[in-house]
Amino acid sequence: MNLAEIFLTLLRGATQTVIVTILCSLTGLSVGLGIAIARRLGLIWLEPLFVTFIYVFRGVPMLVLLFIAFFGLPSIGISVPGHVAMMGSLGLIAGAYLAEIFRGALAGVQHEEVEAALAAGFTRWQALISIEIPQMLRMAVPSMVNEFTTVLKYTPFAYTVGIPEIMKQATAAVSTTLQGVEIYAMAGVLYFVIYRLMLVCVRLADRHFTIPGLSSI
Amino acid sequence: MALLEVRNLSKTFGHHTVLDGVDFDLEAGQIKSVMGPSGCGKSTVLRCINRLVEPSAGTIVFDGKPVTAARSDLLAIRQRIGFVFQNYALYRHLTVIDNVTLALRKLRRLSPRAAADRAGAELRRLNIDELAAQYPAELSGGQRQRVAIARALAMDPAVLFFDEPTSALDPIMAREVGGIIDRLRRDNVTVLCVTHDFELARTISDSIVFLSGGRVRAEDSGDRLANDYGDPHIRDFFTKGRTSP
Amino acid sequence: MNLSATILPELVSSAPEILRGLWSTMGLATAITLIGVVGGILVFYLTLSPVPLVRRLVQGYISLLIGTPLLIILFLIYYGLPPLGIRLSPLVVALIGFGFNVSAYNARFLTTAYNALDPSEREAAAAQGFPPAQVFRLITLPQTLKLSMPALTNQAIQNVKDTSIVFLIQFTEFFSQMQEVANRTFRFLDSYVATGIAYLLLISIVSIIARMIERRLSVPGLEP
Repeated sequence: MNLAEIFLTLLRGATQTVIVTILCSLTGLSVGLGIAIARRLGLIWLEPLFVTFIYVFRGVPMLVLLFIAFFGLPSIGISVPGHVAMMGSLGLIAGAYLAEIFRGALAGVQHEEVEAALAAGFTRWQALISIEIPQMLRMAVPSMVNEFTTVLKYTPFAYTVGIPEIMKQATAAVSTTLQGVEIYAMAGVLYFVIYRLMLVCVRLADRHFTIPGLSSI
Repeated sequence: MALLEVRNLSKTFGHHTVLDGVDFDLEAGQIKSVMGPSGCGKSTVLRCINRLVEPSAGTIVFDGKPVTAARSDLLAIRQRIGFVFQNYALYRHLTVIDNVTLALRKLRRLSPRAAADRAGAELRRLNIDELAAQYPAELSGGQRQRVAIARALAMDPAVLFFDEPTSALDPIMAREVGGIIDRLRRDNVTVLCVTHDFELARTISDSIVFLSGGRVRAEDSGDRLANDYGDPHIRDFFTKGRTSP
Repeated sequence: MNLSATILPELVSSAPEILRGLWSTMGLATAITLIGVVGGILVFYLTLSPVPLVRRLVQGYISLLIGTPLLIILFLIYYGLPPLGIRLSPLVVALIGFGFNVSAYNARFLTTAYNALDPSEREAAAAQGFPPAQVFRLITLPQTLKLSMPALTNQAIQNVKDTSIVFLIQFTEFFSQMQEVANRTFRFLDSYVATGIAYLLLISIVSIIARMIERRLSVPGLEP
């Protein structure tokens, strides 16, 4: 196998890397949004659960959580596919961080605007969907994307649970060719390109959605 | 029967009594102000009527329907009461036109086009149609207030509430607000205005409810209130306590 | 799950190895943090270079290292270099790989803080006649460090967690000792959950120490 062929296998792996990144980011987004909304609606009886969740998933290393999900749970009869294990570790970690990011952004939503919506006859839920969440998301964009790039940079561990992404393809190629420096350098460049593409997309979106008076946190 | 009947309205926050049995009526087509020294509970009156603040006691009847009853259709009632807030409370993430159409689209379920037409008419009425695509942060205080008024009027409210409409404006802009409200009178808009600004209250109002210590001390025309009224609370207000909101 | 009835005896009998692993983890995290701070200051200093080419290269270095997964660097050095005749121990590879990575992150934190500082104080020092190197050492660096302290301590906490990946380059630390326990007992869930709890305790202690240091070093007017 020459380096060009290896590059093509890495490129195929990049598809999987992107898929894992999206799956974990979406998991994190749903969990983070769910917690932020529940907190905003004042469901304080859930607060101990949220605090524990955030504490655990920000405190335990990602690889340990991945091993609990992928190698631990099968030992009590729950088999977990690799992608699900990634979502249950990396995705939930992102959720814990995003929940805190969203909490900060929601603090920037002015109470008066919510009151104005309620006075106009909006339900609490409608005010949340029409006023608070759009403003919060707008303010949270840079921090949010920063979190998604962190997700990308932790996806290589997916190779330990058998997902054929860039890292897995790279280690397989290295074991047969011994050209570790070249192959891992190529893999590194691929990750870097994906990372830069994410930043470019954000910069474009950020410029397009700029709203005077709503600055990013 | 009056459009709005407020009876024995009371509100306590903890041990602090803000409103202590307030009574007044508002007839359709009437423009009425609620005045009084700062801390007399003026703004709380407005918020109790549409139950943004839950009254501690009393009854409120709006257009024949009890607002304070447990099973009242609060959201429908709120849609018929336009509210112009002291700080305007424009939605910062929406343009001027979207601020005005939001409730039309989400609550009235108008099509985007119909909502835009309706909103456009209100913006023209207030002479701010050229601001349609701007964001609130790009507007002056007076412009923001007009947007807030257009936003409230777009829902065809039975009554328009103003909370301290002049407190955040410079004196020249403040006089202009009186002009706007006066023009609304010609369109037969009913207005309930809470203010500490006697000049404004005197020029726009058919009658003024004077509130002090959480109670209605008098209800009369501005000129008669200002000219040596018997009640000491009112005399005090006009001799010293007229400076701060 | 009854932790005590399942793997507690195994944990006790493996205590010496586990404690040694814990010791390696802490030692490695400390070394990485120190290298990262010193390296970060060095890289940050180079970003202020008057030579445009140096600034461009350093910015490229920061961007590349932040944009590439840490594991790639570790694997490149550990599995890539031996065929070229360069064979480094897992410890050295970890120190080099983490050192490059963490230095880049710390340099970026310092840059962010630097940009938030009031330039007039540096100008005042220069106007007093301090040479540039002294302005950096006496004014710029202390202010930048204090302002970026929360970011730097967060990175230190992150370092503790991230050392759990070095078993992938055959470095024996806490997580790898716990994997030994798991493989010996076949109680994977218990072992890994116990691992998670141990990390949580460790991270909590490190966080408390970090906050204490932050408070100790805080200066009025230079809060982030």
